[in-house]
Amino acid sequence: MDRGEEGFRLETPAVRVRPNTIRRAAANGGVLIGLYVVVFAVVAFLALVPLAALVIGSLRDTSPGMPGQWTLANWANLVSPGVVETLLTTLAVAGLSTAFAMAIGTALALVIHRTDFRWPNAMTGMLALSFYFPSFILAMAWIVIGSPGGVINDILREFLNIESFSVDIYSVTGIIFVMVLHQVPFVYLTIRGPIMGMDPSYEEAARTAGASPWRMLRRVTLPMLAYALASSALLCLVLTLEQFGIPVLIGVPGHVTVLATQIYLLCRFPPTAYGLAAAIGLTLAAITSVAILLQRRLARGDRSVTTTGKAGKITPIPLGVWRWPVNLMCGFYIAVSLVLPGLILLYTSLIKFFTANPFDATFTFRNYLYIWNSEETQRAIINTIIVSGGGALVGVLLGVACSYYVVRLRPTGYRVLDALVMLPFGVPGIVLGLGLLWAYAYLPLPLYGTLTLIVLAYVTRFLPYAAETAGARFVQLDRSLEEAAWTAGASRLSGVWRILMPLSLPSLQSSYFLLFMAFFREISATILIFTASTSVLSVSIWSSFEQANWGFASALSILAMVLMVAMMSLLLWAMPGARRR
Amino acid sequence: MGISVKNLVKSFGTHTVIHSISFDVADGEFVTLLGPSGCGKTTTLRCIAGLDTPSTGTIAINGETVSDPANNLFVPPHERDLGMVFQSYAVWPHLTVAENVAFPLTVKGDRDVAAGVAWALDIVGMSKLAQRRPSELSGGQQQRVALARAIAARPQLLLFDEPLSNLDARLRDRTRLEISRIQRELKVPALYVTHDQTEALSMSDRVIVMEAGRIVQEGDPRELYQKPVNRFVADFIGGANFLHVQRVGRQWQLENGSPLAVDPTTDRDDGRSKIALLRPEAIRLDEPSVPTPTGQNRLTGRVVGGMYLGPHVEYIVEVGADRLRAYSRSALSPGSPAILTFDACDCRLVDDTPLTEARSHHA
Repeated sequence: MDRGEEGFRLETPAVRVRPNTIRRAAANGGVLIGLYVVVFAVVAFLALVPLAALVIGSLRDTSPGMPGQWTLANWANLVSPGVVETLLTTLAVAGLSTAFAMAIGTALALVIHRTDFRWPNAMTGMLALSFYFPSFILAMAWIVIGSPGGVINDILREFLNIESFSVDIYSVTGIIFVMVLHQVPFVYLTIRGPIMGMDPSYEEAARTAGASPWRMLRRVTLPMLAYALASSALLCLVLTLEQFGIPVLIGVPGHVTVLATQIYLLCRFPPTAYGLAAAIGLTLAAITSVAILLQRRLARGDRSVTTTGKAGKITPIPLGVWRWPVNLMCGFYIAVSLVLPGLILLYTSLIKFFTANPFDATFTFRNYLYIWNSEETQRAIINTIIVSGGGALVGVLLGVACSYYVVRLRPTGYRVLDALVMLPFGVPGIVLGLGLLWAYAYLPLPLYGTLTLIVLAYVTRFLPYAAETAGARFVQLDRSLEEAAWTAGASRLSGVWRILMPLSLPSLQSSYFLLFMAFFREISATILIFTASTSVLSVSIWSSFEQANWGFASALSILAMVLMVAMMSLLLWAMPGARRR
Repeated sequence: MGISVKNLVKSFGTHTVIHSISFDVADGEFVTLLGPSGCGKTTTLRCIAGLDTPSTGTIAINGETVSDPANNLFVPPHERDLGMVFQSYAVWPHLTVAENVAFPLTVKGDRDVAAGVAWALDIVGMSKLAQRRPSELSGGQQQRVALARAIAARPQLLLFDEPLSNLDARLRDRTRLEISRIQRELKVPALYVTHDQTEALSMSDRVIVMEAGRIVQEGDPRELYQKPVNRFVADFIGGANFLHVQRVGRQWQLENGSPLAVDPTTDRDDGRSKIALLRPEAIRLDEPSVPTPTGQNRLTGRVVGGMYLGPHVEYIVEVGADRLRAYSRSALSPGSPAILTFDACDCRLVDDTPLTEARSHHA
């Protein structure tokens, strides 16, 4: 009895805490039940109000808040030649953009993760950066480059004296080109995981069976990625269908209209037709929702890619003679999606009158000085930081609460809560904005014209991401970790606070990072509901560009991107958990 | 005192997993719930811990009713003053060893947390690793941390949910002894859930064998091994051979006609179908040329195969239509005849109950 006798100094430390007397079952976790009711109500409010308002709006013959009649005319007008043409354009633009983005994104992922490409880490970093490059800023840069009075045509005319040929970004081709540039990083980031998680033994089996590397790619790797590719393609299709910044900047001057921009035009330019806009919005939301439902079904059925967790060393495919073509392709993509747009914006922000020839240009800091002097712009910057910083926190907390109930506690009605959380996933930003516009014309809530409304819109739009990230983490954490806390004497709430939250922190940080960045560059949900006092940076940039003030818009864009990079670094430094992506 | 479970029923929807079971654990007693997976043993334990809510029936811990659905009474787990060790260890990876062990003390508002932690870590021999992270510990060490955490606040009850099933065989033997020792020192009632008969037999004061949500038999380990009530218990605890027998007049004989003398205390004609239980270690296995003592059962069989295990050879021998396991030190070649001798009192008649009959019989 060596240690045993020491063990018998039992009378020393612990003070016996007797359990409280009998409690009723309902009393257990009363706070959690109360919180459930609140969360449920908030989520139902966020998800259902805009949609209900759209349905009502689509049946009215006037603008929001005006007296009018009930009508079915808006729905009948959906089949008018104008709307049908827009629908076809939308589908064509989204379909083609998705096809090209998938091809390029998948090729890049295979090059980076399956071949002996020399700079995989640098390339991944560049792609991640260009993922965060806001779409409307990319569109602006490409308008400066490719519009009739832009850089390319200037060079053609002034330097090469070519009059017979010119480029025009204000076209369907232009929209698709910029959309592809913008979507490629998304495709890459969604395909990357499945490619890296693939069990190498399947490929090794193909190689030992005598297949050449390219044959192996075609016959084994790509077929095994079929589910992941299809699921990525569907999400990409949704994003291109609801894309607003690119078609509004490029398409409107070029008279190319897609559904998202038509909604905007119907609301902003007389004669306005808010009712028809609502009907179009619901139609667009229905299309994207179908794509998302398909994607979810696919993702659930995906059993082909076995992620064994032991991502073994894969023998990279030698690029051989393809090395330089591949290098050029990668360099070209980074140049046109990141470097060139950045440089052009910087250049445009520093000159007085636009010219493609830097030697003709008059350089000036007046655009930056103007930011310094403009109270309006400063308010937009402060608004953006409040909305992104605070809004993302609200979004993450609400997402965590929803996931805790849906994944862990599962009280009555948790399936309904789950469905409500996921509902906004299929609602494009511009449609959500329109819904809120209709809703707050009728609801007796003093929210219109406040930053709260903007935060509400953003949180609604990105709640599915926040909930999904937290839920994925909760599923990974064994239930017994919390149960051990309860049996050790901790209440449910204390178990959540002391065990579940610390263990989920990295995921929550990464979710905060994602939401912060998304809120920072969001424009589609804001464009219909902002007011002078609630303008945010994205809207300021866009509106000064609309007023043909390229120099100021570029200066603001540069400032926005510097702020974004600064915030990114700050967040990554403060929250190590956000680094794992 | 201790635990008192009365008429416990647990259903998930229409599916009932525990069919009204009752048992007690006396103060300081070590009781094991033993049974195959899905028999309801873990659910029973979780009901006692308060992690699952019973459908009906009452549970009392040290005289205080903690669960009684009929009276809408349910004390949540954190107010039941218990310590529990989980199969997955459930050691919190974001806390150090010391912080893990301190947790129950701090949530219960203990005045001297440091002394409590030192005491608990000393008992499990982990004092030197107090500042480590769980990720830096082996499975066995993590299990010790889980054990220290369970006892740190001196609970009035210890619960174990298959705590050794993730450890390798040698570590399992050592930890088994450790758990027994700690429970004896603390003198608190302990309920232990396992599907491993060795653990059940070696650690327990009393074993409760469960099957399909019902208690089949309970008793001390010796009694269960030596006097199982039916084929299920006999088969589940220890290696068992079964001989198909039939009554001919006042005698029992094998299907090939050989007469069989059985333990007379088990020779009851209660109308239920019987089968003869014969433990492998009770059989003496010889070549036909070796003379055998008289007055015992003597059967002739044929060697089917053998496995060399070191101390002895384990043979499979065919006797009539039955295949038996038996040990011998002599080398017998497959296909050769062999003689099996054993005492009548080692050959017990037990109820030959298929699962469904066992259920209705004990309901």
